[in-house]
Amino acid sequence: MGYTASFALSLPEIILSFGAIALMLAAAWAGDKASKAISVIAVALLAGAAASLLGPSGSGGVGYDGLYVADGFSAFSKLLIYVSAAIAIIIAPGFFDREGEMRAEFPVLILLSAVGMGMMVSAIDLLSLYVGLELQSLAAYVLASFLRRDGRSAEAGLKYFVLGALASGILLYGISLLYGFSGGTSFHAVAVAMHAGVGTGLLFGLVFVLAGLAFKIAAVPFHMWTPDVYEGSPTPVTAFFASAPKVAAMGLLVRVAIEAMGPAGDEWRQIMIFCALASTILGAVAAIGQTNIKRLMAYSSINNVGFALFGLVPGTAYGASGVLTYMTVYIAMTLGSLLCILQMRDAEGNPVETIASLSGLSRTRPGLAAAFAVFMFSLAGIPPLFGFWPKFMVFDALVDVGMWPLAMIGIATSVIGAFYYLKIVKTIYFDEPSDVRFVPLRSTTEGVLILIAALFVSPLGYFTVPLLGKATLDAATALF
Amino acid sequence: MASVAAQYLPILLFLGVALLLSTAFVVLPIAVARLTGAHKPSTDKLSEYECGFPAFEDSRMQFDVRFYLVAILFIIFDLEAAFLYPWAVSLREIGWTGWLAMMGFLAELLLGFAYAWKKGALEWE
Repeated sequence: MGYTASFALSLPEIILSFGAIALMLAAAWAGDKASKAISVIAVALLAGAAASLLGPSGSGGVGYDGLYVADGFSAFSKLLIYVSAAIAIIIAPGFFDREGEMRAEFPVLILLSAVGMGMMVSAIDLLSLYVGLELQSLAAYVLASFLRRDGRSAEAGLKYFVLGALASGILLYGISLLYGFSGGTSFHAVAVAMHAGVGTGLLFGLVFVLAGLAFKIAAVPFHMWTPDVYEGSPTPVTAFFASAPKVAAMGLLVRVAIEAMGPAGDEWRQIMIFCALASTILGAVAAIGQTNIKRLMAYSSINNVGFALFGLVPGTAYGASGVLTYMTVYIAMTLGSLLCILQMRDAEGNPVETIASLSGLSRTRPGLAAAFAVFMFSLAGIPPLFGFWPKFMVFDALVDVGMWPLAMIGIATSVIGAFYYLKIVKTIYFDEPSDVRFVPLRSTTEGVLILIAALFVSPLGYFTVPLLGKATLDAATALF
Repeated sequence: MASVAAQYLPILLFLGVALLLSTAFVVLPIAVARLTGAHKPSTDKLSEYECGFPAFEDSRMQFDVRFYLVAILFIIFDLEAAFLYPWAVSLREIGWTGWLAMMGFLAELLLGFAYAWKKGALEWE
């Protein structure tokens, strides 16, 4: 395949990286006054990249001599990533303007991170995987500490950086082992070697690679950075971390597990089962005692990643489509919740983050309280709401391959998780109002975004099932 | 029997890596200190000192961030130079593709450098 064809495959990345570099220079010369214009252009670039997925970059196949693939799976994941990244850019000015910290570099960093995430879901070689992962992570470390004068934000950035570097090291060590024992860095070469027999060397490589990727999706036992980073980061950045990078890392994990390590299914399945169970249980139990709403959302994301991993355990196309459906609904729920949290400010405009101060929200801001309740019920997976559907799909995929005991344990952990979601709803609606007065909605854009997310996770979301089901199944079939 | 046990090796290794890394960093320094020395803490021993004197100032002193900026810029260009050597000796084999890839890399680096310059990262005062 020639270079022109390869470039056509990676058109979204080309649009985003050229755009990001141009905007970076614009940010340097025009300064922070131009941050609004730069944000608008950045969102337009993301829309352009998403539109380019309709062409060869959506389903064109393998390019760059087997380093990069553009198939249905990567196109679907990229669409989710670009939407989440665009929302993070849109909600940022409302938050940072108040602190006087809106900088023109914010949209640029999100764009660079989006390039990295696009590479992650399109990688079919261990090296392009690593480059994509690092590009995403490096931008994320800076974003976590974006409020430079805030101690917590700086702490979040530093913690994320140190632990992220450790995880990258583990991943790279695993990659070197896989390369050493299989003789190639492409997913195909690894799969061929594993097909011939999974020796100790390949096994160690598999374990280290999965440990590194488990860190990126924040699955237990590699979750310890998540609560601190989510709590300390500025809220728009928390919303970004909880959505786009999760989709990218999950997509990467699914592709590595199925395309590279497919023949070693019995080996990685045990690890996935352990991670899924540990994440759902720890995410549910540890969230109960939390008093900070952003910290609680961190445990909620750990919990949800566990459920998404259940979809990967069967190793079937239906299971993988369950993972994609789960991530789609999950980002709507989590972005919606974090958008609501972004709205919670007292009369002086300071962000309110304690759960106790949410009491009385139903009196002062009934609309916001209703939306928040919808997101909480949906995250808990209560049937009429759309959050139930992806949970049903992943457990259905488990039952399909006869793993019903695991499905039953998973459903039990989902009940434990429902407790703390319902506790928040109780605080909002039934507790005595606290003395915090919430200010009314300032931004119509954010209101509209909350409304769209709430409608999507409400029972109306089931109207999207035929479309979503077909899209995710097509995307997942591309892997097999 | 051995083959059944071997099937569970991956999960054992995974748990081992998780446990080992998290405990080693916490336990190892404490254990080594306890094993190699006598453990008799006192107020004088626990207080901080500099070369035998009581501390003159807070040890969490603030460094000027400009040192880091210069160090980071140095590392970037140092790596670029290190990257150029293998490229230069293998240019015959990698041909125009390799030449174009390196020119793209250099152009990107140059734009980043222009950004850093404009932002004032190179000015000391």
